Amino acid sequence: MRAQIALGVLVAMCCACAQPPTDPGTFFQLTPESAQHRAAQTREFETRDETELLSASAAVLQDLGFQVSESVREVGFLRAAKERGAREYGQEIQRGIVFVLSLALSAAGQSNATQVIPVDLHQQINASLVTRPIAADGSRYEVRVLFYRLVWKSDGQNGDQHIPAGQQKMEMIRDPLIYQQFFARLSKAVFLEAHKI
Amino acid sequence: MRRATFRRFLPLFASALLGWGCASTPEPAPDLLAPSEEQMKLRSFQTRTFEVKDKNQAMRGVIAALQDLGFIIERANEPLGLVTAARFAEPRYFDVLGITVTVRPQKGGQMQIRANAIYNNEPITDAKVYQNFFATLERSLFIGRN
Repeated sequence: MRAQIALGVLVAMCCACAQPPTDPGTFFQLTPESAQHRAAQTREFETRDETELLSASAAVLQDLGFQVSESVREVGFLRAAKERGAREYGQEIQRGIVFVLSLALSAAGQSNATQVIPVDLHQQINASLVTRPIAADGSRYEVRVLFYRLVWKSDGQNGDQHIPAGQQKMEMIRDPLIYQQFFARLSKAVFLEAHKI
Repeated sequence: MRRATFRRFLPLFASALLGWGCASTPEPAPDLLAPSEEQMKLRSFQTRTFEVKDKNQAMRGVIAALQDLGFIIERANEPLGLVTAARFAEPRYFDVLGITVTVRPQKGGQMQIRANAIYNNEPITDAKVYQNFFATLERSLFIGRN
């Protein structure tokens, strides 16, 4: 019984990320955070040359190691991606602790409770960038960029059940510092001052 | 005696099985691709006409509205007036919400905008969801410009 409770706790630890489903009615509603995200992701530039702004944005993304995968000049749109490793010590240590604990449990109990939790292995960081005129006379443009990442996990083991590698997780990147760094580079590239909105 | 009965009924049994085998293949309904009333209703939820003359301005408004709603713009095609975007149903990162918006100029300087939203590959048929989208879009098209 004790072993079963411990196993339950272990499984609950692994499933701690599970969230209740989102209400579909709220999908297209602005949230209190919407304005905050917009402010972090957007900068205004006093320029009349949108093409230059877009091409400088592509150059900055290239400098940051991104590959541009889609571009539409007419609506000022760019999409880019880069691949990176996603291994972290913290996760590896957690995996080790859970494995040793589960091994001790399965040695003590009757059932095979071996747990090897999958860890993040590889990630693809994506950027979606849009330029938009914000003055009727075309003298000011805003640049809005959005970063997010896809993470592929390694394989794992849940009792007798093998968890295959390749399970995916997605995550928006909301760290304001990353956006600040991007816009600092962009304003240098276009020799213009980036204004916060 | 029993064997003779069996032999007599065997062909009958086999033909019944054959007949059943053929009957079990479902015939595609003749109205499979015909427009249903439900589809017409859904189309009316998904479509709105705005007083915007410039297609490019309308498309940029759509893109800005989608970005405000946290969507990641995936594709845009200016000549066709198409924008495709997606986002995760945060905080559940395994559920994906996708949307395709088409912008088509109408006679008389109006712009017809149609949105198709899907949630985990299932079409969204709730009128309220589209109302929310168009409310945000309206704000982006008219108030967003200064």
